[in-house]
Amino acid sequence: MKPGEKKEGESAEEVSRRKFFTMMGLGVGWGGMVAALGGVGAGALRYMIPSVLYEPPTIFKIGTPDNYGIGVDTKLKKERQIWVVRNERGIYVLVSICRHLGCTPNWFGDQQLFRCPCHGSIYDTRGNVVGGPAPRTLWRAAISIDPVDGQIVVNFSTRQDPDPKGTAEGLMVEEMSREVEPYFLKV
Amino acid sequence: MLKLLERILSVARTTQVWKSIFRHGFPSTDSNRALVMFSNVILHLHPVRVRRGALKIKFTWCLGGLTFLFFILLAISGVFLMFYYVPDTRRAYSNMKDLGTVIYFGNLFRAVHRWSAHAMVFSVWMHMTRVFMTGSYKPPREFNWVVGVILLAITLVLSWTGYLLPWDQLALWAVTVGAKMAEASPLLGSAGPFGPELGMTSSNDVAFVLLGGTVVGQSALLRFYVLHCLALPLVTALFIAVHFWRIRKDGFSGPL
Amino acid sequence: MAEEESNTVANQSKLPDKPGRFAALLKKTSKGSMAPEDTVLVWPHLVYIELICILFGVAVILFLSLVSPAPLEELASADTTPNPTKAPWYFLGLQELLVYFDPWLAGVVLPTMIIIGLVLIPYIDPNPKGKGYYTFSERKFSITGFSFGLALWYILIVVGVWFRGLDWSWYWPWDDPHMHQPAGAVKLVDLEVILTSVLGLSESPLVTLGRYAVTIANLLTWAIFLGYYAVGFSIPFLFLRKFYKKLGFVRYNLVMFLFLSMMGVPLKIFLRLLADVKYVLVTPWFKI
Repeated sequence: MKPGEKKEGESAEEVSRRKFFTMMGLGVGWGGMVAALGGVGAGALRYMIPSVLYEPPTIFKIGTPDNYGIGVDTKLKKERQIWVVRNERGIYVLVSICRHLGCTPNWFGDQQLFRCPCHGSIYDTRGNVVGGPAPRTLWRAAISIDPVDGQIVVNFSTRQDPDPKGTAEGLMVEEMSREVEPYFLKV
Repeated sequence: MLKLLERILSVARTTQVWKSIFRHGFPSTDSNRALVMFSNVILHLHPVRVRRGALKIKFTWCLGGLTFLFFILLAISGVFLMFYYVPDTRRAYSNMKDLGTVIYFGNLFRAVHRWSAHAMVFSVWMHMTRVFMTGSYKPPREFNWVVGVILLAITLVLSWTGYLLPWDQLALWAVTVGAKMAEASPLLGSAGPFGPELGMTSSNDVAFVLLGGTVVGQSALLRFYVLHCLALPLVTALFIAVHFWRIRKDGFSGPL
Repeated sequence: MAEEESNTVANQSKLPDKPGRFAALLKKTSKGSMAPEDTVLVWPHLVYIELICILFGVAVILFLSLVSPAPLEELASADTTPNPTKAPWYFLGLQELLVYFDPWLAGVVLPTMIIIGLVLIPYIDPNPKGKGYYTFSERKFSITGFSFGLALWYILIVVGVWFRGLDWSWYWPWDDPHMHQPAGAVKLVDLEVILTSVLGLSESPLVTLGRYAVTIANLLTWAIFLGYYAVGFSIPFLFLRKFYKKLGFVRYNLVMFLFLSMMGVPLKIFLRLLADVKYVLVTPWFKI
């Protein structure tokens, strides 16, 4: 029907009501289709996020504190991806994952530095960034003493990650603020 | 001898079988040369006639065609590699060793796959440079340039997913670095700007979806395997089809 | 060429007598105005060129595969990163970029901007000239800009392939690649730390917004960062009116944003190399 051409007895109101229902029908139809597709898409995305992981354990024991002398101990790097460090006040555990892009830095005993082979980040024994592109300081893992056998228990997935401060020496974190429970053992 | 062969061929051409396969005579006349372009599905990518300028090698350097050739070589060699490869962290590396030591021509197929991949990245890059330098992206070919850029990006992602599969040191660390980058994505990554503020953690961000876990392990290997061998090649083939189709529809930009 | 031409003419002289729906195609192309002499049949002319290209490509790949098989490194182990770890050559530009910028920028935002920039090229280049032939004089700006980006990318790749060694330190070709370079001779410092010490500014924050302690030096670095874009956007707008008018408002802003961002990359690299600047701009959420 051409616009403006009306049948006898059909009021403007009726036309607009028909138009209204047509629009409603179209809206419900298309809207329903878009919603259904969106739901399938969201379901597909959720499907891709696994709910069960088969990954190595993140809580493990590393022996008693008297196994670790002053300085950086690298013997657990291969097995557990950690360095155990003892200073004058106690023990902390650095996670041996570069904060830049996840490579494993190497310990240089002569320079007292950790240096990353991927993009050249450099850390000191406290985990502060003294060179290279790393944007944050090394993680420290949560540690505690098992009351039964006296071994150090490391919780690899609970990590200390304070905001560092840019200084002339590099990216620094006030050391005493890091030496707090559960990331430090006064032993 | 040659005469005999010719004789056999000429008889063969009269058989029902031959005629059912080739719907035209030998392409020695212009009409048959046109028919061969019509009736052959691969040659049908081409028009029947092209402008003389399109033959100039110094205009296109055959770069787009070479890219497609390398893609075909990758598909063929890739299928062969799949016969001996299991995407299992305990077996993948020894499969690679087998290919290099005990399987006849295993090294050759690996090498062809690797060199074709390098060559494809190089030629797709060069092809893009050529298309830019000749201004061939200008109207009406804007959209085909966009398809081309998407193909360039997919090519790089294909390369990246491919080198996790041997499960050697390069594989692990290249993908670790890539996953960390994903983790640092703004908004979508747990270590990226405003990611944590939006509730991203290491067990729900974009890197977690990519790896299927928090470390580069078995689930990451399987995901990359499926992406590399199935999902991405299919997407690539689809975009290549659109790319070629649009060349035909938009016309060739070369000189007259 | 001349040979092919005579070939075509000869072919046309013995055009088939049977008419068909393709007969028209034999005489002219889809562009009806074109004379038939301008075109040639795809079979055999183009098909043979392609066949030669295919043979050439396959031969090169086979030759390379025979002389240099695919390498296989040691079994993957999460506890030891090989030193140095180098990605394949086509990703080394990216890996080198990661030295100068944080991962979110070098690994995600800059590549995304490169891809988006490439996608936008046909839509932000309104110049109708130079379509279908090589020319520099008719498209000076677009060719220069594109080549600059390409050159930057290739330089980064070359640096990554040939000038980086152990611990991703800089190695000249004559340096011993098995000796570690001394570390930490140069310390990298944030721009705001440099400003604070050079201008003798106060380190106490003016305002503290949650984790964000805003100092005078920090505001200065914001001014420098935004000023770079502001000045960059205004100069062509004020002094190259023809350039602005040709592009129009939307295209101009897109072009300038992409162009200035591209120029910002080598600028930051120079700041790092010459002045040991680690970050130009520091916030608790992102650093540039």
